Formats: sequence, C-alpha cells, structure tokens
Amino acid sequence: MIAAKGLSKNFGEHRAVEALDFHVPAGALCALLGPNGAGKTTTVRLLLGLLTPTEGRAEVAGVSLPAADAAAARLRARAGFLTESPGFYDKVNGRENLEIFARLYGLTGVDLSRRVEHWLRRMDLWEARDRPFATWSKGMKQRLALIRAVIHEPEVIFLDEPTAGLDPAASREVRDLIAGFRREGRTILLCTHNLAEAAELADLVGILRRRMLAFGAPGTLSSVRPEVEITLSVDAAPMARLLGGMAGVDECRAEGSILRCTLVDIVRDTPHVVRTLVGLGADLLSVRPRVPSLEEIYLRAVREDHS
Amino acid sequence: MNREILFLFLRKELRDLRGNRQVWPAYLILSVVAAGLPVLMMALLPVLLDPARSGNDPALALLHDTVAADPSLVGATPAERVARLLLRDLGIFYLFIAVILASTSAALALVREKEQRTLEPILATPIRDRDLLLAKLLASLGPAMLATWAAALAGTVAGMLGSWWRIGVVILPTGGNLLGLLFLAPALAALAALLALRVSARFTDVPSATQFTGLVVVPTALVMVAIVGRPAMADPLVTLTSAAVVAAIAAWFFFRSVRRFRREEILTRWR
Repeated sequence: MIAAKGLSKNFGEHRAVEALDFHVPAGALCALLGPNGAGKTTTVRLLLGLLTPTEGRAEVAGVSLPAADAAAARLRARAGFLTESPGFYDKVNGRENLEIFARLYGLTGVDLSRRVEHWLRRMDLWEARDRPFATWSKGMKQRLALIRAVIHEPEVIFLDEPTAGLDPAASREVRDLIAGFRREGRTILLCTHNLAEAAELADLVGILRRRMLAFGAPGTLSSVRPEVEITLSVDAAPMARLLGGMAGVDECRAEGSILRCTLVDIVRDTPHVVRTLVGLGADLLSVRPRVPSLEEIYLRAVREDHS
Repeated sequence: MNREILFLFLRKELRDLRGNRQVWPAYLILSVVAAGLPVLMMALLPVLLDPARSGNDPALALLHDTVAADPSLVGATPAERVARLLLRDLGIFYLFIAVILASTSAALALVREKEQRTLEPILATPIRDRDLLLAKLLASLGPAMLATWAAALAGTVAGMLGSWWRIGVVILPTGGNLLGLLFLAPALAALAALLALRVSARFTDVPSATQFTGLVVVPTALVMVAIVGRPAMADPLVTLTSAAVVAAIAAWFFFRSVRRFRREEILTRWR
C-alpha cells in the first residue's frame, strides 16, 4: 500500500531524507519515529505528492510517485492527512470548517451532510458545531482535524504528530480513534516522537533520522538483539568472563549478581547458557528473556547513528 | 473547472472580506470616492471654465487644449464639452478601482491561508492546481468587479445628476465607458490579480504581501491602466481591442502560472 524505494529529498544543500526504503502493507499501522528534524514530515509530504523527490520513487495506494498533477490528485483523493497543526479557519464554526474541506475532497449534498453529522457526533463535537473554531479546546481541534483526515474514507491515512501538545486524556482519546481506524482496515503512517504511542499502536516501526535507521515489527527490529537476564545467588562477574567467549553468546556483562547476555538466538542459546552455568556450580535464582523496549531500540539506533 | 470548488472559495473569500479590516476599507473608500468625484467635478465646472484662471494655470490650459483637440466633443457648448470630457475620462478611475481591489484581495488570497495554516490541508486535498488558482483568482476578481460596477453605477448616476444641475444637460456614459467597465476592467483586474497572486505566494505574512503588492504590483497595473485607459474611454473599438489583448495576456499568464505552480515551493518557502 505504501512503498518507498531510494526516496531522497534535498532542500538546496540540505539533505532532508536519504535513500528511504520501506514497505507498509495494506491494513498495517506503521509508526515513524525520529527526533525533531529527522525528516518525518518531509517523508509524509513526499508520499502525498506534495514534494517532489530528488531521487527515488514511491507508490502509495496504487499511484506511483513522483506523479503529474492529475495522478497526484487521484492519490490525495485516496489518502487522508492530519497535519502537524489543525489548520482550520478561526472565525468559521466547526461544522462549516469541516464542510469546506469535505467539499474539497469531493463530497456534496446529502452524503456530505450525513458524513459531517456522523463524524461530529462520533467525535463528541456535535454540541460545539456552531461555535467558532477559535473557541474550541486543543483536543477538540485535533479531533476535528482527525475527522478531516478520514471523512472521505481514505485507504491510506498519514498522521503527523497526532497527540502533540494534547493532555493525557485527549491523547488517550486520539489514540483510541487511531486504533479504531486501524481496526477498520485502513493503512496508517503515524509520525510521532511518542514511543509509548508507537509501541501501543504500531504493527511496524521505522526509526528515521534522515536515513531509515531501523524498520520492522517492534519485536524484530534487526539492529538490536534480545538479551537473557540471569540472576545468580553470588557476584556474577566471574561467570560473565567465562561465558564471554562461548559460542552463541555475543556479549556477557555482570551487574552485581545479575548476568546480562546478548545471544545470537535467544531460543536456541538460552538453554545452553543455563546448562553451562549449572555445570559450573552456579545457583540460578531466575532466568528471564529480555526483549529490548522500543525506547531502548530507538535510543540505541539514534545513538549509533550519531556516533 | 470544478464549479463546486469555485463557489466554495468565492463564498469563503466573501466571508473573509467582511471581517478583513485590511481589505474592506479599500472597498468602502474607493466606492465613496467614485460616487463623490463626478459631483465634485461638476461643482468645480465654473472654476474650470473661468478664462482668467486658465491663462495662468498650465493644467487648465492643457484641459482646454485637450477639449479643443477632441473631435468627438465638437458641436457642444464649452461647458458641456469640458463636462463630457471629465465624465468620460472618469471611466479610467473605475479601471483603477477594479485593479486595486482585485490585486489587494488576490495578494491576501494565499498568504492568509498560510497564516491560518490552512494551506497545507488544502494542498493535501485532491484539488487540482488549475482549480485552486482559478478559484482564488475568481474569488478575488468577483467581489472587486461587483464593487467596481456598483461604484461606477453610483458615479454615473451622480455624473448625470451633476451635469443636469450645472449645465442643464444629462450626460450619459459613452460606449467606451460602458465597454471599458464590462470588458476592459475585468481583463485588467484579472491580470493584476494574477500578478498579485503569483508574487504574494512567496511571502509568509500578510503585511509583507500587501506591502510588496502595493509597491510593485499595483503601480505596474496602474501604468497599464494609464496606457490603455484614456484611448479606450474615447473609442469603443480601442476599448474592445485593448480588452481582448489584456484578456489574452491574462489567459497566457494564468496557464503559465498553472504550469509553474509548485505545491512544494509554497509549502517550503513559508516556514
């Protein structure tokens, strides 16, 4: 549904994104993580045909990019976009604001009115519909922007920082809505700094910092190997030294009585390590496989890239 | 052209205009001046005809020379000839109004979307480049032309009443005046609006866009008005020919703007 091949974008001398290669299948939610200025918004704009790539190409909802005006318009009819800031007319009320954009998406007549009412009610904005947009709370504005992104029932939804600046309750609300869109089978590309949000919602995670540092399902990001954490009854340092050179063990370090070993294959090598330790006379209090959190994966990837 | 989108933007621009303190005073002031100017001219007619003054005043001398050299005014009394010339050339002022109002509105058309951060969501919809530019152009042109025609109607009525009051003759607008209002004014206003739209798209804020438009686009458009205005008011054929030429230039410029329109430039230059 979304595929990028060698996608790069320069702004003058500045290279905003470089050689992006990734694929998001239909119905999946992909979270694009990255620090500020990593190129997340540029990537979304490239995938919507709003920017022309300097190199590479992409395909979104069956439309190849870069595309001419007509094809790009076809793509945008099949895609929804939640921009970083809501972007509505302050003096116009919420319902009319939504109608303006819905018309730009080609909705008219009874269908337009029906969808506007349906979504405003679903998002709990119906009561506020006739108030000027400027008087709405940040959470309400964000929900209206989310409606704009989906009112034309797009196949692909691009969400740029959907919970940025929202309080925890409003963020929860927005995350539930995104989860709802995913259950409806829409393909979603979510740009966020919020790792918990990505971990909760995403089928796929991309860590972007100009280049794609890592891409895959959260548990299988290739650049980081899982660890096994073994608690001993005594100081673990001597055992760490002994295990260090063993086949199947990448790295073994001791933290007090805790032994942390990075293994080549956690399923195959954990029993072997345990047997070795028991054979050496160690008393094992617990053995716990430890899959690195998304935060650790992210921080490591960004740190490695930085170094 | 998607008519739905055109009317959508037209309604929105009209609504914006009502609440826009940078634009509606221009509409109001120019319309009041348009209605008041013919009355003022007719009130000053005795002064303009005073032979003692025209001897010392080069501007008055030029006016009398112009009246004397104009074959279309032959046969009327001196007062009527001067009145006819003044009211006929007042048509140029309506061309100015159309150009100023259309370019001022057009200068704000994109930059206000940028300021409100609504431009990116608009560009992310399936709207085509041609439709967006045409909608913005017509949304600037429509209110400007309505205001111009209203001002011209008020000015014409005031001129007819003023001439009847001063010289006992009701002076009707010439063919050049009417054709100028109907064809030349929209063509000039469209060209000025396109220039303003194109230039203002580069700016990030309303003051810069209006200042640049006021300093560069409006004077350029006014020079065009000054070149074609006077001959056009005097001769209907010149009016129609000028309107056709200006409309053709505007159409060429429009299609060129569509071809050169880059969402990328608009999105990335205003950050």
